[in-house]
Amino acid sequence: MNLLALLLILLISLGAGLLLQWWPSRRQAMPTYPQRAPFLGGGLPDTHAWSRYHVRYYPMALLLIAFEMEMMFMYPWAVVYVQKGLVAVMEMGMFLAILSVGILYGWREGVFKWQ
Amino acid sequence: MAIISWLSRLAARGPATVFPALGMRGEEALYRLALNPRIRLVDSPRHASLLLVAGGMPPEMQEPLRRVHDQLPAPFTTLWYQSEPLLELQQADTTRVDSLDALPDALVDAHRNALGGELGVSPRLLPDAPPNPWQGLGDDGRGGEGMMGGVPYGRPMAMPPTDDLRDGLALDILTFRLGPFFPLWPAGLAAEVTLQGDIVQQLSVKSPPFPRPLAPVFFEARERAVPIARLELERARHHLRALFHALHLAGLEDLALDALGLAQSCEPEAIGALEKRFRALAGRMKRRGFFALHLPACGTLGEKHAETLGGFAARAAGIDRDARLDDEGYRRLDFSVISQRKGDTRARWHQRLAEIAQSLRLAAQAQQDDAVTANLEALETPRGPWRNEELPGDASALLEELLPGLEWGEALATVASLDLAGVSQWPRP
Repeated sequence: MNLLALLLILLISLGAGLLLQWWPSRRQAMPTYPQRAPFLGGGLPDTHAWSRYHVRYYPMALLLIAFEMEMMFMYPWAVVYVQKGLVAVMEMGMFLAILSVGILYGWREGVFKWQ
Repeated sequence: MAIISWLSRLAARGPATVFPALGMRGEEALYRLALNPRIRLVDSPRHASLLLVAGGMPPEMQEPLRRVHDQLPAPFTTLWYQSEPLLELQQADTTRVDSLDALPDALVDAHRNALGGELGVSPRLLPDAPPNPWQGLGDDGRGGEGMMGGVPYGRPMAMPPTDDLRDGLALDILTFRLGPFFPLWPAGLAAEVTLQGDIVQQLSVKSPPFPRPLAPVFFEARERAVPIARLELERARHHLRALFHALHLAGLEDLALDALGLAQSCEPEAIGALEKRFRALAGRMKRRGFFALHLPACGTLGEKHAETLGGFAARAAGIDRDARLDDEGYRRLDFSVISQRKGDTRARWHQRLAEIAQSLRLAAQAQQDDAVTANLEALETPRGPWRNEELPGDASALLEELLPGLEWGEALATVASLDLAGVSQWPRP
């Protein structure tokens, strides 16, 4: 019953939002095709704008994951470290070695250079 | 509907939003309007309620003008300042203004009337049809075969190039034609640009910028002796107007308007205060990081290009040449050539600012001594030397070698730091 009420509230608020958006612009025509073209100061594009673009913060994101993942596993590891002993140290060593490859890759990509 | 009409009435009371499409000799209108608080110049037709076509429009620019015209959102109207309306619009409610003094009022009235629904809005000139219709073929309905194949909307997909200019990571290339009404570079300049990501891979100039008219005093100086104070004030005005464009490009709008305000007040009566005002402006530019943040140390001119351009661009590249040295009148004022070494975008602006300061100083001194020019054979215009009958010509072709390899923002800053347009053989009105 609660779920049904929640669903109803969601549907009503979504409908109200859409109505609010549609009502003032219901008589306005769609922009014309020339208006929808990209503004190039009177020029025209040759190719479609669906081009693949390199996200230059990608190595930075990779580095964040490398460090964050490390910490995520180190907290539970610290809890069982005393109990497991040397095995836990070796496992963590392997884990850090794999992660450090990511950090070295990021280093090569220039992620530590502030630009 | 009530909300919309209330919003329209509110918008009509605000400043008139104008997109200027500059033709030949149309820039005077731009400088006048930029300082008017009732008018807001915008860089895109989508933000405008008025299209101002200022200056003569050659026939080959009419098709690009139609495209820009049709990109303004309705309701809008068009004003023609010292320009002949397009044939299709001559039957419509066109407003033609030939006086610069009457232009701001005409624009404000047109803005109010257009938004208030009292004026006939400009009709659309191009057919409301997709420029490249949907072809609906292929595996993914993109007009071709495969994920990356085909010609969506009739235009081919941007495809990976063979090489990358920056770091070896090849990106898709995007080719387009920009201009002649692109507001962030010289009026009339149209070029085919190929970008790879944000790097300019190739640029070819399709039409050069319109020749720029100089102040009448430069033409008088080739015929008779003229006061050096007038000549130097006009030189400072020319560079300050260029500075307005560069500061606008950098997003420092208040400083841009200050530079333009200073340019408009470069008159002999105000000579005493000009130097002080300019020093204050230069200090604010430095504090706001114009040099450090907005001017990349790139766009270095080689010796050949620097020689071709001449003037301040050559001096910024270390070529100590100035036709004023051959003038006895200037020698009496202890004129000496200022120059830089590096020849890049940053050095060019250091050079220009130093030359503005020098011009204002020379003007003040020349006014005190009543100094006049003595050489009718050669003249240093703000754009470069004018010897014999040869006026400084168009140099936009050098962009084809200068810009590839630069990021788009760096390329625009480089264009703004150069005076590429040739000098018109008719003086400014």
